[in-house]
Amino acid sequence: MYVNDNCVGCGQCFAFCNQGAIEVFGKARINNLCTNCGICLTYCPLRAIEYVNKNGKGEI
Amino acid sequence: MKNGKKAVIIGSGLGGLLTGASLAKDGWSVEIYERLSLIGGRFSNIDYKGYQLTTGALHMVPNAPNGPLLTMLKRLGANVTVVPSDPLATIRNPLNPEDEDYKSGYKDIHYLDLTKHMSFKNKAWMAILTFCFNKKLINPGDKTFVTWFSKYIDDKRIVRYADSFAGWSLSLKADEVPATEMLQILENIVKYGGPAMIMGGCSSVISELVRIIESNGGKIYTNKEIVSVNISKGSVESITVRDSTMKDLIKKTSNDTEVKADLFISNIGHKETFDLYEKLPFSPDSGDENKEKEEFNLKYEKYINELKGLKASAGIKISFAADEQLIEHTGVLFTPYARRVCALNSITTIDPTMAPPGKHLIMSHQRVGLDKLDDIESEIELGLEDLKDLFSGKEIEILAVQVHHGEWPVNRCFSGYDIGNKTPYSNLYIVGDGAKGEGGIEIEGITLGVEKALSEINKLYN
Repeated sequence: MYVNDNCVGCGQCFAFCNQGAIEVFGKARINNLCTNCGICLTYCPLRAIEYVNKNGKGEI
Repeated sequence: MKNGKKAVIIGSGLGGLLTGASLAKDGWSVEIYERLSLIGGRFSNIDYKGYQLTTGALHMVPNAPNGPLLTMLKRLGANVTVVPSDPLATIRNPLNPEDEDYKSGYKDIHYLDLTKHMSFKNKAWMAILTFCFNKKLINPGDKTFVTWFSKYIDDKRIVRYADSFAGWSLSLKADEVPATEMLQILENIVKYGGPAMIMGGCSSVISELVRIIESNGGKIYTNKEIVSVNISKGSVESITVRDSTMKDLIKKTSNDTEVKADLFISNIGHKETFDLYEKLPFSPDSGDENKEKEEFNLKYEKYINELKGLKASAGIKISFAADEQLIEHTGVLFTPYARRVCALNSITTIDPTMAPPGKHLIMSHQRVGLDKLDDIESEIELGLEDLKDLFSGKEIEILAVQVHHGEWPVNRCFSGYDIGNKTPYSNLYIVGDGAKGEGGIEIEGITLGVEKALSEINKLYN
């Protein structure tokens, strides 16, 4: 997962992450616990989280 | 009884749900589209390790028991329990009246004692100004609150109180609020009552509205994003809905459906809605009547100018936990001498189920000046330092720091500068915190705006 500049740090994503992989302090940051499950995508009101696979590409 | 008409609502925030519930009860066929997996917008609970945090709001109703929101919820038949704050608020002053911070200790005073320190002259002025405003004998015009007030009363402490009140309730400085709006807010507290905590928090209001909408045949779809509002012959004809499930967002698919309706309500703000419709070269596209086109052009241009003036307010909410209750009552604790934190409240003073057993959940709110958005981390640090000072010697655990600004703000429009519910299209209305009514704090303003929109809709369709 990748956080783009749309993020304002509203913190709507982190509580839904089952891995504890999102830290929010002014802006969301994804740590290395992320498994790329994608659940956070549907909670971000600003489309600030984008799916990036292991090759750095945006699609599966 | 069904009226045979269909209303589509964009967004499931409080404004959208209140409008949807009312229309569904009035016989409209209601469909609400929410792009996220979550219903309730910025007025919803988020469960985090057993703590009921929120997506934005503070588990509180500003005006109880007779304020706009509780009155509307009652009319709709919603079962929501609130506990009126007692006292409404306390104010934390420095122990030494000469101090400008809490470093040498503090003293909490009851909100009714807020004028106790004032000179006789200033107290008299305060009484005169309040009386004259209530009797409509005085009109501050377009002056902002502190500018207007300071002409009559010179009192630094009162300015601090006003800033912490405006910061907590509107996420603005008192001098960013028009004096008329501030006076109306204060009058409404006297008229309707002060704050109350909501049992179960924000989500208990949302789940009741969902129940009312669905039991009246309405439908709420999550993971459905509106990608365009389609205009034909001078009015909105349809919206284009795109599936936005996790799978769709990962694969970036575009499964679109067109949904037609008679009436369209947008809960996502004026600007954000405007961005969804095709920018017309000032043509109503309805017949060849030049006069009609001219009128539409004027309306459209005026609307665009109004949109340019809209400013969204910004704020930071810090949610934290403690083993003991640090807020001694069910009201608001104002902190006018903190660096940034304006006030705090604690939902566990009335509802212990909002935190794990033995724990307390407390929330602070601070306004963020729009000129400070580039250095938001420093603003957060200042808020955290405030909490350390306010609760020195106490163990607190920071649960979440949430910033709201820009397109996901505290308020889509500075209070007192809302531009109403109408758009250039007669069957498209805006509700929510981008279209609040006068004198309404946050969700009360949203409700007043919804009531205004509903009365316009009733005029148009009955």
